[in-house]
Amino acid sequence: MPIIFMITTSLKDTEVARQMPPQWLFTPKFENYTKVLAGGEGFSQGFDSLLLNSIIVTLSSTILCLLVAFPAALALSKPKFRKREFLSSWILSTYMFPPIVAIIPIFIFAGQIQVLDTYAVLAIPYAAFNLPIVIWILKSSIEQIPAEIEEAARVDGANGWHYVSKILFPLTIPALATGAILSSILSWNDFLFALALTRSVAKTAPVGIQEFTGMYGTDWGSLSAASVTIIAPVLIISVLVRRRIVSGLTFGAVK
Amino acid sequence: MNKEATKLDRASAAHPTNKKSRNGIYWLQMSPALIILLLMTIAPAIFLIRKSLTNDSLLNSTSNFVGLENYHSILTDASLLHSARVTAIFVVVVVLVEMVAGLFFAQFLYKKTRANSVAGALLIIPFAVAPAVSAMVFRELLNPNYGWVNYFMGLVGLPDTIDWLGNSNTAWIALIGLDVWQWTPFVTLILIAGMSSLPTEPLEAAAVDGANSWQTFRHISFRLLAPFIGIALVLRTIQAFKTFDSFLILTGGGPGDSTSPLNLEIYRVALQSFRVGYASAMAIILLILISILTPILLRILRRATQSEEV
Repeated sequence: MPIIFMITTSLKDTEVARQMPPQWLFTPKFENYTKVLAGGEGFSQGFDSLLLNSIIVTLSSTILCLLVAFPAALALSKPKFRKREFLSSWILSTYMFPPIVAIIPIFIFAGQIQVLDTYAVLAIPYAAFNLPIVIWILKSSIEQIPAEIEEAARVDGANGWHYVSKILFPLTIPALATGAILSSILSWNDFLFALALTRSVAKTAPVGIQEFTGMYGTDWGSLSAASVTIIAPVLIISVLVRRRIVSGLTFGAVK
Repeated sequence: MNKEATKLDRASAAHPTNKKSRNGIYWLQMSPALIILLLMTIAPAIFLIRKSLTNDSLLNSTSNFVGLENYHSILTDASLLHSARVTAIFVVVVVLVEMVAGLFFAQFLYKKTRANSVAGALLIIPFAVAPAVSAMVFRELLNPNYGWVNYFMGLVGLPDTIDWLGNSNTAWIALIGLDVWQWTPFVTLILIAGMSSLPTEPLEAAAVDGANSWQTFRHISFRLLAPFIGIALVLRTIQAFKTFDSFLILTGGGPGDSTSPLNLEIYRVALQSFRVGYASAMAIILLILISILTPILLRILRRATQSEEV
């Protein structure tokens, strides 16, 4: 229901949108979308640049997260690694660390080295806060690979690097995809870090939509159009791979 | 798999140097992840403990050591107790409502029919909506002058002039309604995934023995589903604790501070009043509360995942 509201309102003129009862039959107009994306009067910047910021931050944090998580998951899935139990549960427990607690030091420290309002100041915390989930997804997928496969590879003369790159890596691609999707969605939808750590240059779309309610009331058409552009990509991906999302967010416990 | 592991362990134990260097490689592989996680969790905690003993503010550069004064004034201040209560009530109520509603819906939707696979696709939708967006849209829908909610309530003969966010009781209903709308479907999806992986024999046996549907649910489905209920419970509790967007955007903690949870309070003191020392002490208290809860949640999660794998 809120979604129907959002999509219909995004296609209406401001006057039509305010009418009660809601107009079910109306000629759809895409002016809100063109207006929002181009920026224009009343807005400090076009919504297109905020979306671009969101895309850059989401992609870079996801790439960073996967690069860091993969070797860690490899080590944690080795039965010979003595500290694996302890480290695995410690990593899981960092998932409970409240973001607000990290934000005060990041805000002060980033202010001192003058990196507030940059892409990196968002991308690194996003990667960090998504790491526990992604490491656990990769770890449980690597642990499911039968030990015989590694033994067979060794018998055939493959060294450790060969085994990882030629055999293990292809087998974990589905898990890497799940991790990438979840990490992207969580970064894309985040509001708190972006609100606290950016002002204008690196501001992301979820923070930007707050501007559409200002002193002169709410610009419903623009607000809804902007909202639709934020949720549409996530919505399409989620519907397509919903089983992976459920499985990933539950740390691989639900198949 | 475990047998293999012990065999390999024994093999490597014969070459102690080899084992040591292997562990070194594992630590090397772990190090980037560990560094990032330490930087984002332990380092901030240490920083905050130090700051919490000062009266630092970003507005003036003087910094004085004040000892435990911040903690003393926070713990004797009714407003912190109040916001801790807001957080606790919110977590307990939304988790409870979402678990019960999720179980209820899952009972109807777990059978693999075409209608249910469409329902499954619809259920993921609220999860995909950025919380900042859904909070904005809820605020507009609840607008007393032109929101849809009052309009439709008027259509069915209910009071249609409610100022939802202007009254603390209705503001609570709005906040809980938003969270329940956003997350119940996800809980349902977890439980559906659990139910479709259950063996059907016990249910058939119960039907043969003439158990009614409540008895079947209570004694069989519920028991078999326990691991999945545990996972959903832990996940939602953690997320509910972190909820921030809907409080800030939908109610702004208001009216007054009636719906202002701990993290919103910390955000305000730190980044709007810039009283870093005081906010740090609040953050440390939140951290202590969470670390009491964490081992309990981890134990539920571990038990749930293990019994499910067996």
